[in-house]
Amino acid sequence: MSDVMAPKTPQWWKKSDVKKTAILWVICTAVIGFGGVELHVRNMVRPASETMSGVINLMRIFTWAAAPVAGLVGAMCLTVLTSGRHYGDNPPPDADHEIRNSPRTTAVWVSLSAVLCLFALVVGLVVFQRDSQAILDKSALQVNVTGQQWVWNFDYANGARSQDLYLPVDKPVVFHVTSVDVMHSFWIVQMGIKVNANPGYITETAVTPNKIGVFDIRCAELCGILHSYMQTKVHVLSQADYDAWFAAQGRVEAKS
Amino acid sequence: MTTLINRPAKTPSKSIIERLNLFTALALGAVSALVVWRLALQFLPQDVEGVRILTREDKITLLSMLAWFIGFMSGIGALVGPFRWVMGKDLTHEENMFLAGKDMGTKRYFRYTTDHKVVGIQYLIITMLIFFIGGSMAMLIRTNLGHAGGGWLHPQAYNSIVGTHGILMIVGTIIMITGPFGNFIMPIMIGARDMAFPRLNALSFWLIVAAAVPLIWGQFIGGISTGWVAYNPLASQAPLGMDGYIMFICIFALSTMVAGANITTTVVRMRAKGMTWNRTPIFIYGVVASVALALPAFPVFFLSQIMSAFDRALGTTFYNTRGGGSGWLYENLFWIMGHPEVYVILIPAVAALMEMAPVFTRRPLFSFNVAVMGIAGIAGLSALVWAHHMYMAGWAPLLNAPFMITTELISIPTGMLFLVLVGTLWRGRLWVTMPLLSIFALLWNFMIGGVTGIYLSDVPADAFLHGSMYVTAHFHYTLMGAGLTGALASLVYWFPKMTGRMFDKKLSWISFWLVQVGFNTAFIGMFLVGLAGQPRRVEAYAPTFSVANLVTTIGAYIIMAGMLVLLYGVIFSWRDGVKAPMNPWQAKTLEWTVPFPIPLENFDELPTVTSDPYGYGKAKP
Repeated sequence: MSDVMAPKTPQWWKKSDVKKTAILWVICTAVIGFGGVELHVRNMVRPASETMSGVINLMRIFTWAAAPVAGLVGAMCLTVLTSGRHYGDNPPPDADHEIRNSPRTTAVWVSLSAVLCLFALVVGLVVFQRDSQAILDKSALQVNVTGQQWVWNFDYANGARSQDLYLPVDKPVVFHVTSVDVMHSFWIVQMGIKVNANPGYITETAVTPNKIGVFDIRCAELCGILHSYMQTKVHVLSQADYDAWFAAQGRVEAKS
Repeated sequence: MTTLINRPAKTPSKSIIERLNLFTALALGAVSALVVWRLALQFLPQDVEGVRILTREDKITLLSMLAWFIGFMSGIGALVGPFRWVMGKDLTHEENMFLAGKDMGTKRYFRYTTDHKVVGIQYLIITMLIFFIGGSMAMLIRTNLGHAGGGWLHPQAYNSIVGTHGILMIVGTIIMITGPFGNFIMPIMIGARDMAFPRLNALSFWLIVAAAVPLIWGQFIGGISTGWVAYNPLASQAPLGMDGYIMFICIFALSTMVAGANITTTVVRMRAKGMTWNRTPIFIYGVVASVALALPAFPVFFLSQIMSAFDRALGTTFYNTRGGGSGWLYENLFWIMGHPEVYVILIPAVAALMEMAPVFTRRPLFSFNVAVMGIAGIAGLSALVWAHHMYMAGWAPLLNAPFMITTELISIPTGMLFLVLVGTLWRGRLWVTMPLLSIFALLWNFMIGGVTGIYLSDVPADAFLHGSMYVTAHFHYTLMGAGLTGALASLVYWFPKMTGRMFDKKLSWISFWLVQVGFNTAFIGMFLVGLAGQPRRVEAYAPTFSVANLVTTIGAYIIMAGMLVLLYGVIFSWRDGVKAPMNPWQAKTLEWTVPFPIPLENFDELPTVTSDPYGYGKAKP
């Protein structure tokens, strides 16, 4: 902006509105950063896997990465709004400058947003890479998931089939997901994994539950009139409990 | 009968064009539909037992709807011009003048009128009608979700309302700026006498009317129980209402293509003398980017629905895995349209507010070139991001990374739009009016919509968020919080030019605050339930989500109050508002140089442009 300024005016950073904006920027950034993180983290489900903890961390990182930009826009808006407003049916006199451009501001703005974008990308891609590796784990527990209107069926290695999912804690699991009718979406809410169940195809997702307890499975793709009720539970058990359950299932299968 | 005064006395009998209007169109459409329905019922062979047993009913429904469409378009007079041209005797000058609605009074609004100002008003009315119906459906949805554990609507009816609300609002927001303001204001703004193809202009509007009927018809034969995306194979399972959706989309896509070609040609070829690209107002760029994006997008949508119709009516298996097809094909085709389409909605809204920003800050637009780059960048990138809607589809997990990159790159041109708006506000002299407040509202809403978009564009975070209410809240923030805010500001800003009267100031303020407060209440609440794990499009939810859902419902009612105040404001101001001066905002674009009522061909003498329209402000002495 310096190119249009008369020589007497102070340097741009000494101008009162710039100072005001700078202070507001710090405040806005802090409010948006803390507020945004709190709003997200407090309302998100408690994580039951490393993957979900990763998602919550990503929300933290992205919120803080976006906060300075949002804070700057907010600070500039507040400064503008608090430095003279004109009401009435006729326009105020024209502003006392005719700045049409500021290559420096533009360059800074665009490169900053590019850097932030790149940062978000790198962070996201690293996590994405780690998550994608998990489905290749051949030593993991393999569970076949079949969606149908409007229940989930889980098939285990020993031929057992259940409508609630049972998993051992701290053991990697790979899900092979398909559907017999329309498209569903297999979502273990507290573990932060999701993949669509498509008729005629098998899709994969993987997770390692790290907490014992009962968690929610919901269908996340509209699949007909009872879509809202296409929910079930996942029971994460200790290894011993799981082994006992698994063996009992095997016996049931053998008897029948 | 003042309408007869200027008609040449020598006309022996009424020309066919003078006999056709909305009523002949409705009649001919209804009769054709009935006749074809009866004939099809009589002569279509029974189906052999196949994958779907409903095929014959689908054939009958689609054929009747097609007959309605052809009947209606013939009845309104869309075919007269082309038919005459084929026969080698084009319309006479008198007939063209009649088509333009010369000295016809209000009757021209119910005819195939080619005057762009008439088409603009027609678009405005139909947009408001669409928002009224779509908004009422939103209220039904929110009322149903007011408490946990299932509402009073039958799940099938609920799903159908969700789907119809979605598609109506998408269509309404697509046309809300390029329709009324792109048609009414844009040609005057560039100093043209009319659009490049006036008859295509009328065609694009009446196609929308013709399209609306199958959608309403569909509501009575099973509805659209698939959500607005109508994914297959759920759509092939859906009742006959789905045929209404298919027909609606096909006709609407035609309208969009026609309007896109028309607006693009007009802007490229018909700008006033001296209006170089550097002097073309930024709103024009927004409108052109929007319709130019729609030009490649909507034929794909059209195609996807034709294939859907074939699957339903002819037993093909484009989207059926058992017959060698794939639901993923539909998802790809749908989102190749679907993602550019959100920018079709958003870009003109932002550009309209950019147009208003210098007027209400009394300083030049900050960085016109950056604004153009931002619009072009978004338009270009938006064609390369469609599969981010399919991260979790399992279609091509390896492609998630590249689509994540293109998606997040959009934040850079989007940031440019923010820079232009904030830069223009900076050191401006604020003239606090509803359009100025809308600029701040857009910055607020679009910031929230944009930042949540970054979370959603990230594949691991999307693995949690996809298909949840978080997504619903996100796109309402962009399309409604940013898009609709821009459209409402445009309405208030251009109201004096379109109706000759000022929009009542008090009413515009009341409705602004109600809508914005209600909107933020409703959709912050929706973000929270999404984070807590509530899926989209459910009609019943766990009790843990009840508080935030109730908050959302209350917010929705506040929005409704605001929109009703706005509706009252439109009706009141149009009838009894203060008469507007020629240039109430002291703006510098060309539309403010024509008097009201605007002459048939806008300008007595075509203007010559010597500078851009942003010459506000004066250097310090």
